[in-house]
Amino acid sequence: MLKYMIRRGLKGLLTIFVSITITFFIIRLMPADPVSLLVDPKMGPEVQEAMMKQFGLDKPLIEQYFIFIKEAMAGNLGVSFKTRQPVVEVIMQRLPWTMLLLTITVAFSLLIGIPLGMLAAKKRNLFFDKLISTLVVVGISMFIPFLSFGLLYIFAYMLKLFPTGGAYTPPPGEGFAYYLDVARHVALPALTLVISNVGTIILYTRNGMVDVLKEDYIRTAYSKGWNDKYVIRTHALKNALIPTITVTGLMIGTMVGGAVMTETVYAWPGIGRLIYDSVSALDYPVLQGAFLVLAIAVVIMNILTDLAVAWLDPRIKLGG
Amino acid sequence: MKEKILEVRDLTKYFEASNGLFSKKKYLHAVEKVSFDLYKSETLGIVGESGSGKSTLGRVILKLMKQTSGKVFYKGQDIMQLNPKDFGKIRRELQMVFQDPYASLNPRIKIGDSIAEPLIANRILSNYAEAKKKVHELLDLVGLQPELYERYPYEFSGGQRQRISIARALALEPKILVCDEAVSALDVSVQAQILNLFNSLKKRLDLTYLFISHDLSVIKHISDRILVMYLGEIMELATTDQIFSKTYHPYTEALISAIPDPAERGKKKRIILEGDITSPIDPPPGCRFYGRCFKTMEICKCQHPEMIEVEPGHFVRCHLYSERKGGLTNCLNT
Amino acid sequence: MTKLLEFKDYSMGFKDDNGNIYNLLDKITFHIEEGKALGVVGESGCGKSMTSLSVMRLLPSNMVLQGGQILYKGEDLLKKSESDMQKVRGKDISMVFQEPMTSLNPVLTVGFQIGEVLKKHFPDMSKEQIRKKVIEQLDMVGIPSPEKRVNQYPHEFSGGMRQRVMIAMAVICQPNLLIADEPTTALDVTIQAQVLDLMVKLKDKGSLMLITHNLGVVSEICDEVVVMYAGRLVEKGSTEDIFDNPCHPYTKGLMEAIPSLTNKKDELYSIPGTVPTAKNFALGCRFADRCSQCMSCCKDSVPPMKEISPNHYVQCWLDF
Repeated sequence: MLKYMIRRGLKGLLTIFVSITITFFIIRLMPADPVSLLVDPKMGPEVQEAMMKQFGLDKPLIEQYFIFIKEAMAGNLGVSFKTRQPVVEVIMQRLPWTMLLLTITVAFSLLIGIPLGMLAAKKRNLFFDKLISTLVVVGISMFIPFLSFGLLYIFAYMLKLFPTGGAYTPPPGEGFAYYLDVARHVALPALTLVISNVGTIILYTRNGMVDVLKEDYIRTAYSKGWNDKYVIRTHALKNALIPTITVTGLMIGTMVGGAVMTETVYAWPGIGRLIYDSVSALDYPVLQGAFLVLAIAVVIMNILTDLAVAWLDPRIKLGG
Repeated sequence: MKEKILEVRDLTKYFEASNGLFSKKKYLHAVEKVSFDLYKSETLGIVGESGSGKSTLGRVILKLMKQTSGKVFYKGQDIMQLNPKDFGKIRRELQMVFQDPYASLNPRIKIGDSIAEPLIANRILSNYAEAKKKVHELLDLVGLQPELYERYPYEFSGGQRQRISIARALALEPKILVCDEAVSALDVSVQAQILNLFNSLKKRLDLTYLFISHDLSVIKHISDRILVMYLGEIMELATTDQIFSKTYHPYTEALISAIPDPAERGKKKRIILEGDITSPIDPPPGCRFYGRCFKTMEICKCQHPEMIEVEPGHFVRCHLYSERKGGLTNCLNT
Repeated sequence: MTKLLEFKDYSMGFKDDNGNIYNLLDKITFHIEEGKALGVVGESGCGKSMTSLSVMRLLPSNMVLQGGQILYKGEDLLKKSESDMQKVRGKDISMVFQEPMTSLNPVLTVGFQIGEVLKKHFPDMSKEQIRKKVIEQLDMVGIPSPEKRVNQYPHEFSGGMRQRVMIAMAVICQPNLLIADEPTTALDVTIQAQVLDLMVKLKDKGSLMLITHNLGVVSEICDEVVVMYAGRLVEKGSTEDIFDNPCHPYTKGLMEAIPSLTNKKDELYSIPGTVPTAKNFALGCRFADRCSQCMSCCKDSVPPMKEISPNHYVQCWLDF
């Protein structure tokens, strides 16, 4: 087991390393020049040069890269071009908000998705199943900005049930009132993400269940004299949820940075929005930091997912 | 003196079976130093259970899988050493009929085109229109009407599909046909039809068969000589009559005894082997049948038996018949 | 001798996707006496599996009852409620299926799956009692080191061992009737011999209904035989009757088509044609188009069931 973890850990580090290397070079392919954003054109060329030197932008690209890696390993991800704040700080400010949104989204997606999927499997090919399948397709294919603007417009603007953006209405309060305020703010972004993602959960659960119910061992269970409820609960569930768990794990991994559009529309102060703002500002260090976080999240979620599935399915031997 | 058409010498195939990057390399000994001759116009039956290596043997001989070591002489040449281009011409003469009539035909291709494909692929004929005449001949040969050219596999039953597979195998006018469990997936009455077909084709086209099966009754019916395999090795090799009139190897005895026969009901005392078929991964030294054999001796555990000719043309791999019989060696180590 | 299980004119069909109903089993009539073993013989498509699943009422949902009764100890199983049937399954009547590789749930231990049967039918038994009984049963069916293996998962057992586990599961409540559907077909020959040997030993404990296409197996284990073709019972009688004096052309053809170890023939008799599918069943005798002794009346009308000698029946127009 320990050998397995070490091996996975090393593979994970390699993945992270490769991804931030690629990120480093790709973001510098962007057509604009960050210096021009930082520097007031009225400033003289010496000042410009001094600024470039300060941010290390005067050195050749490869050298910049090695400096970045060296610093990153020491825990220093540099300083934001825009706000001059250390990148690590910036990210740590935003990360909890993304985690909050994520946790609520995943929890509700599973709580709604799994039962609906199981019900659709039970009533497969009947009207209910077809209705659910249609809704799933609609949900998955909806363009997120469209969905989020739509919800924002209807519920926040027209009906005034929810606030129009942000994580809380400043100033941040204390205690229960604060939590309630945050809850009101997280409702719509979470709703957007749930509508987008619950479809996948429903589909995987339904299909997983339909496949399992066809298996011979389900027939064996009935032949022992058990009823539907017991057979599904004891024999079918574990097997049927394996694909759902796998896909949830991967979903979480990518949602850390992938909720860019939602967070931007709702002005949610998470990593996604940070990425969007940093792209506009050409704030390389922050972008690198954000993608690093994303890479780490994906790697960790992959490992956790594999472990979870291996725990559920005794046939899987962790190795290789 | 019968003419040899194929000579297999020490053919070996191992598969890698390790667990991940850091564990020691383990090998699955699928086929271990198999040697035998195949005579022209005979049917050699290869019988064995799971893990015997019989299917792997068939595929390695036809070079559908790369061998680990060994030689196979066909028309004087070692075909294992030939490069793909040179072997290509010879490949036509060695064809295979597979077990699953449902899986071995492409469901999207008309059966006539499936049969014609080898002819086109080998550039014997240049297009499907020319091939049609030849396909009609082949369909007739296997007992199907020529009009069926245009149909798709799903429209046929298992037995008919197997006939189509046979027609396809015969398209290139092979000399040797390897039948890998060719009747195992068929119902009993259909099996009889296909076995009869195999026999009549052999006579008409002067074919030589390597017939692989786990069903000893089928093997007995169709084979001139029988090769019994266990865990990758030949345990006994003899003519059908020889094997059934005097069985030497304990495993062969057990196989014969295990088959319930209506004519023998109530009379036969069955030999029941203990335990499961052992794993072919890193097999222990000594005889591979040790542990399940009901006639073991001390020597069987540590000393690997060699093939011995106990009667003319009858070969056995067993210490019971070696000159230095038991009582001599005690297995000292382990 | 009392009749333990009796089929009386049992007919069953199936519904296809378009809603059309096709008859499959037609007026099946036979019985099994207490303590006897009955072989149900036929090729694929003859309906023998459906017959066995009918007893347990485990037919797929598109199956339609078309008439008749299945009496167990005088009671019609077809009239029982689902919850009453659940009391019967696994306890009075149990089943061993064909595919040992897929008939066990891969994520549950073998001990759990066997113990379940006890838990269902004897809810007062304690966990320790159940475990003890399960280990005893594993030992009885010839599994070495049962105390260790009871906690293992199905994939850790070989095919033959898994089938023994299935048998242990089926006999642990000491049912009056054990139905075995092709229990040895998927196994190697030497392993088949082991499992058949085990079944012969268990035969003394109750009645056996053995479904198989292997006449050799039937001749070894069964006292009586019924031969099925295309959903009809074409011949039935004691094992001696059927093997020494087969009357129905299909039975005779089947006997001659099988290569045997003792007979030496150059050409096997092969029944021309193929087994019809349910949608293509002929009116009149369903074997007519393949029968070498077909007469004109055979095609028009269903042949009657004739008694040739005490307890030996044939459904055929021919005179015997």
